[in-house]
Amino acid sequence: MLGFLKQVTAYTKEAFGAANYLFQGLAVTFDHMRRRPITVQYPYEKLIPSERYRGRIHYEFDKCIACEVCVRVCPINLPVVDWVMNKETKKKELRNYSIDFGVCIFCGNCVEYCPTNCLSMTEEYELAAFDRHSLNYDNVALGRLPTSVTTDPSVQPLRELSYLPKGTMDPHDLPQDISRAGKLPSEIIELGKENPSTINLKKTTQNPTQIEPNQE
Amino acid sequence: MVISLGLTSQALTNPGIDLEFSFNQAIQGLGLSSELAHLIWLPLPMLLVLVAAVVGVLVTVWLERKISAAAQQRIGPEYAGALGVLQPMADGLKLLVKEDVIPARADSLLFTLGPVLVLIPVILSWLIVPFGQNLLISNVGIGIFLWIALSSIQPIGLLMSGYASNNKYSLLGGLRAAAQSISYEIPLALAVLAIVMMSNSLSTVDIVEQQNNAGLLSWNIWRQPVGFVIFWICALAECERLPFDLPEAEEELVAGYQTEYAGMKFALFYLGSYINLVLSALLVSVLYLGGWGFPIPVEWLADWLGQPTNAPLIQVITGSIGIVMTVLKAYFLVFIAILLRWTTPRVRIDQLLDLGWKFLLPISLVNLLVTASLKLAFPIAFGG
Repeated sequence: MLGFLKQVTAYTKEAFGAANYLFQGLAVTFDHMRRRPITVQYPYEKLIPSERYRGRIHYEFDKCIACEVCVRVCPINLPVVDWVMNKETKKKELRNYSIDFGVCIFCGNCVEYCPTNCLSMTEEYELAAFDRHSLNYDNVALGRLPTSVTTDPSVQPLRELSYLPKGTMDPHDLPQDISRAGKLPSEIIELGKENPSTINLKKTTQNPTQIEPNQE
Repeated sequence: MVISLGLTSQALTNPGIDLEFSFNQAIQGLGLSSELAHLIWLPLPMLLVLVAAVVGVLVTVWLERKISAAAQQRIGPEYAGALGVLQPMADGLKLLVKEDVIPARADSLLFTLGPVLVLIPVILSWLIVPFGQNLLISNVGIGIFLWIALSSIQPIGLLMSGYASNNKYSLLGGLRAAAQSISYEIPLALAVLAIVMMSNSLSTVDIVEQQNNAGLLSWNIWRQPVGFVIFWICALAECERLPFDLPEAEEELVAGYQTEYAGMKFALFYLGSYINLVLSALLVSVLYLGGWGFPIPVEWLADWLGQPTNAPLIQVITGSIGIVMTVLKAYFLVFIAILLRWTTPRVRIDQLLDLGWKFLLPISLVNLLVTASLKLAFPIAFGG
């Protein structure tokens, strides 16, 4: 009899516990009612890609020395470097270069290791195509620069996350000249020139060319 | 669909707004017989309720989309009309003009009959939903029982459309729908039975009447909290809403019994499921939340303001408050259902049946027994 009662008690406790969890979940869902939408109306509004965004790879044919380092550091040996040895000059003559972005994982190793900096990463991420073979970019396609979100007149560029001023979550209707939270790298450099003791070594060693790309 | 005589007797005991009586008198004043007046009257409330049901569905679809969006920090529909209020209309129009496809080697007769058989009982059940003392199509004596009886026709339609589609997903969905409806009908009926026991009547009007003696405090939810929860869970299961939407579980069954349906036949299913949701919410508000009753009885307010209860203006106001209160309570429950949709994960079929047979059924039986004994012990509070 006592065992049965224990069972009943345990079962009831379990049922009430389940109901309690359900109410906790409902409270969380209900709490979302007062949170504002984070929607970006995509084709009309676009987020500004962050610094060091790894988009489609840009390639400068004239800088390339056909060393094939990019092929060796690529996880799947993706870049195709088509060169011939010129017997007279004893130099490599580059004929074609291509990367298939249907296969590329945008790891950026090729960009990292290119000895002549002829590879770089762009902000382009809209690579949809009707035919996957059209994603195989040759050196001409790789040499094109994408339209920047900030300069496209048909697009409203939006800042995101750390590019927003402190305490702001909504990127809409921000004042044009408002700065992001903290100092820009360029400002830190300016500060360092005036008074080198105010900033630590770590910040001065930052890449001085890395500037805020998101000024609208 | 006959307007019962109960209406007129009700009207005598409690002189509220009786549109039928006034309409008949007006028609008879034009020199027509009372039978003819009755015939002219008959289609009017039916049409009104049909329109009310469809508008209710449009509102619910819009609410569902907007509230879902809010729960996920999205905006939801916003271009079709102000705040996207016309989006359900646009959806409906699209479904209306879409091609009507009957899959190869499907049974075309049963395939067409299925959605109709799902929709008709749901719309028919609106017959018993009261929006006020005399504001319902028919105060049939079997009232709430009619709804339970009608809602058990639905699984036949679901099974029919699932089987006739000649598709394994449809068949599985149809079977699941039938199993679910059948197992949740029993605790639902038992929960209703406890209410019926307390109000000594199956009629929805009487059930609301006995809840409105003292406003908010006399609502059935205080006397039947367990019954309320059981009824709501079962109603959600009957409507096949999350967490009980296994018959149309997208991840497993594509869309269940709706997989092969397109165009207007799919629209019938869609309409049916939302009408059913609104209907369930309305019935919860009728059975447990005092139906058309205002939290403070309107009669008290009228007395307090020194107005006679049978003055025409007061009666119009009372009637409007009744409609607004019923709809408000129903839509609050719809809101809870949508919130639940984004809170709870879908249960498995075995968990669903476990919950129905091993949890809700015994609890509802105990609830019924407790109600019966309380009725014997405290006949004043429990409708002896």
